[in-house]
Amino acid sequence: MTDVTLENLTKTYPGETIPAVNDVSMRIEGGSLTALLGPSACGKSTILKMIAGLLAPTSGDIRFAGQSILHLPPNRRDAVMVFQNHLLFPYMTVGENVGFGLKMRRLPKKEIADAVGRTLEFVQLDSMEKRKPSQLSGGQQQRVALARALVLRPKILLLDEPFSNLDANLRLEMQQLLNSLHQELKTTMLFVTHDQEEAVALSSKIALILGGTLRQYAPAVSLYQKPQNQEVAKFFGAKNFIPGECASGYFDCSLGRFALPDGAPDTGNILTIRPENFVIGADGNTENSVQATIVSKQFLGNQTRIEMRKESISFEALLPPHIAEPFEEGTTVAVHFPRRSLWVLS
Amino acid sequence: MADRWKVLILLSPALLLIVGLFLGGLFLGLIGSLGYMPLLGREEISLDAYRKILASDRFYHSFLMTFYISFTSTIIASILAVGAALILRRHFFGRSVINFLFQINLTVPHLVGAVGILYLFSQSGFFSRLAYEFELIARPSDFPAMIYDPLAIGIILQYVWKEVPFIGMILLANMQTFGQDYEAAARSLGANRWQGFRYVLLPLLTPGLLAAALIVFAFTFGAYEIPALLGQNYPASLPVLAYQSFTDVDLNARPEALAMGMIIAVLSAVMILGYARLTRRYVRS
Amino acid sequence: MSNGTVTRQEDISHDGLSGPAWFALILLISWLVLPLIPLGIWSISRSWFFPDITPSAYSLRAWTYVFSTTSEVLPALGMTTFIALCATLLSAIIGLPAGRALGLYQFRGKAVIELLILAPTIVPGIAVALGLHVVFLNLGLAGSFSGVLIIHLIPTLPYMVLVMAGVFANYNPEIEAQARSLGAGPIQTFYYVTLPAILPGLLIGSLFTFLVSWSQYILTLLIGGGRVVTLPLLLFNFASAGRNDITGAISMIYILPGVVLLLLGARHLTGRNSATESLRQI
Repeated sequence: MTDVTLENLTKTYPGETIPAVNDVSMRIEGGSLTALLGPSACGKSTILKMIAGLLAPTSGDIRFAGQSILHLPPNRRDAVMVFQNHLLFPYMTVGENVGFGLKMRRLPKKEIADAVGRTLEFVQLDSMEKRKPSQLSGGQQQRVALARALVLRPKILLLDEPFSNLDANLRLEMQQLLNSLHQELKTTMLFVTHDQEEAVALSSKIALILGGTLRQYAPAVSLYQKPQNQEVAKFFGAKNFIPGECASGYFDCSLGRFALPDGAPDTGNILTIRPENFVIGADGNTENSVQATIVSKQFLGNQTRIEMRKESISFEALLPPHIAEPFEEGTTVAVHFPRRSLWVLS
Repeated sequence: MADRWKVLILLSPALLLIVGLFLGGLFLGLIGSLGYMPLLGREEISLDAYRKILASDRFYHSFLMTFYISFTSTIIASILAVGAALILRRHFFGRSVINFLFQINLTVPHLVGAVGILYLFSQSGFFSRLAYEFELIARPSDFPAMIYDPLAIGIILQYVWKEVPFIGMILLANMQTFGQDYEAAARSLGANRWQGFRYVLLPLLTPGLLAAALIVFAFTFGAYEIPALLGQNYPASLPVLAYQSFTDVDLNARPEALAMGMIIAVLSAVMILGYARLTRRYVRS
Repeated sequence: MSNGTVTRQEDISHDGLSGPAWFALILLISWLVLPLIPLGIWSISRSWFFPDITPSAYSLRAWTYVFSTTSEVLPALGMTTFIALCATLLSAIIGLPAGRALGLYQFRGKAVIELLILAPTIVPGIAVALGLHVVFLNLGLAGSFSGVLIIHLIPTLPYMVLVMAGVFANYNPEIEAQARSLGAGPIQTFYYVTLPAILPGLLIGSLFTFLVSWSQYILTLLIGGGRVVTLPLLLFNFASAGRNDITGAISMIYILPGVVLLLLGARHLTGRNSATESLRQI
């Protein structure tokens, strides 16, 4: 149950001017399962490698349980990394792979064998001990890679896109396995992913990294409902950004005045609402309602997209097809912006 | 079916040439070594040539000498090449220039290298003069013999000089395909730098290294011009001895020359099979 | 190597070199370049006797001799070049189809055929040439240009085949079908579609093949019987005769194509196993 603190962590690669990781500070609670989320090449893997000791930060500090570990080489950090493409040593058996770290610590053979057996059982691969990695399926290989790290009981387990090479079904299976391993072991785990759904499904908290900086570090629900800025909101699929002004619990814009939910920021000049939260065709006189014209309508399978416009402002809604059915292009409808779905950005 | 004919037609000129010249040459060498040379009027078949050379000290000494030269050169070149590759894979200032210099003698013919070694290490060569300058020796003959010497130091120096870049480039190419992730994984799992090299990088490189070493061994075992230029007369290296016997005025020595050729060929055939096994296993993993 | 605490944080990517690594590297590179230096100096020295570290007198005598019309060097240079060019051309004509077969198709016995083609690159030429000598003698090929050319194909052809097999392994033949369906005939297809696609590989293969032939010594000596005189034969003779200045000058000429190749193709060479392996024959 080691908590990990990153303090003003910055990494600029040699020969480059723009930092790959820029001034990232965050505290990963001991025993938590945290996701570093972001598009590819946003710097999230660089952060992981710095924690593992595979890259040296340009400035800043990394602390395990309050102690700086920057002076430690990777092999003495107890921060074990699992890589995207499993990287099982091809000339070793599954058992030898899992026992590798313990052998490096020069543990007695008997002890290694016991630990390897127990850990392989844990990931349900005890029958595969004598096989070579090339004889396993992709999912099994990644499970061996997990076992190889877990057998060391690391202070923190670092997972770099561990499941992104697997197909969708297998990925779900592996996510469940990781979840149950985490429930059981309570090891601090930090995993990197570019997949929102994976991050949301697995982690208690998500750190969103964009362009090398930490944009928001919060539980998944907050990232959807209370994004800190437009970029975070866009990353999580928000579509509608309406300019205007905040005024004590209300937001004024060219569409009119909208009542804001409790706890919304009292400064900010952009109103946002997720496309799936509109109510269309309701009574036009309730609060937060406007009359808008339907510009286009597009059937997407499980949803229908409706684009609407009022004056120069256009916004888009996603509705279940059976609800969207009666609304025709070119007609004017009453659109309700539910108060609890609104959020203000600056 | 159509494909099979196509393949056969595409391959046949090359196969005809290789079977005709290469296998044909080996076959003629074999029957010649058995004493069957109808073009020279000999038609009886016997193992006399083999019996004779295996009983002679001259052959025995030559064989040991050649084996010693090949073995020593291959081992030294392999070790140096591993060290060189470990350094050259890093990023550092001036890397492209150094890389070019490292590869330069890949394209320099063996013979030129041999002459260069001769001018550096002979008793009147550059290092001998340097030793004189520093008053370590008083006359050329005080300088330790490294050319035409019983330990074949000059020959070994030449092979090492020529083969370090060859093995090194193969290792570098291998390292490039593996990348550094395996080592990073090992370090993360608790291996220190030495363990990362010993238990992860070295085993990964071993098939490629062994394959390259086999090629080098086979080549050095059958090379003529380097020992001919830098080696002593007795015991001469095996290819030199074979050539001498072949060009001997006494035609009876011919089957013996061919028998020595066969022994060189058999040894390299073993190397080829080893090479094929290694590269195939390597490709699979 | 120790497990002790590292005071300075190291990047696992190992950027930069430590002091001892620089020292070892410079030592190694000097050692690799060193044997070429006395050759160059000898070629421009007039007298360089023991124990002089540098020549006591310089002259271009050796170079004048090498380029004079009376010396054997220029004809040998011409002969070496011509044999290498012909061997390259023949290897390309014979090796290109074979490389295509090996690169594009899977068939039974492929491994055996690959091994057979690889074999001449590993089995020392002397073992083969000793056996062939009698036949060449009887066919009137021994001591002739054609004989030497044919024997050179033994080491050169396999390299061309292996390089071309590598090229065709990364080649999509459907592009030819596309050209045919657009109305190109077989020759047009080869000329406008196949050739441009394989040309870089073919050039590299040709350069190697040229160098492999260029470097042959024992095959030329055995089959040429001293009557087909190439540069390495002259080089060997001058070196054993102790004519260090002329040996130096011939050496400089002799290494030229290889160095040019390296300068031209340094980028292509690095990281290519087959390319490096073919250079081993030189």
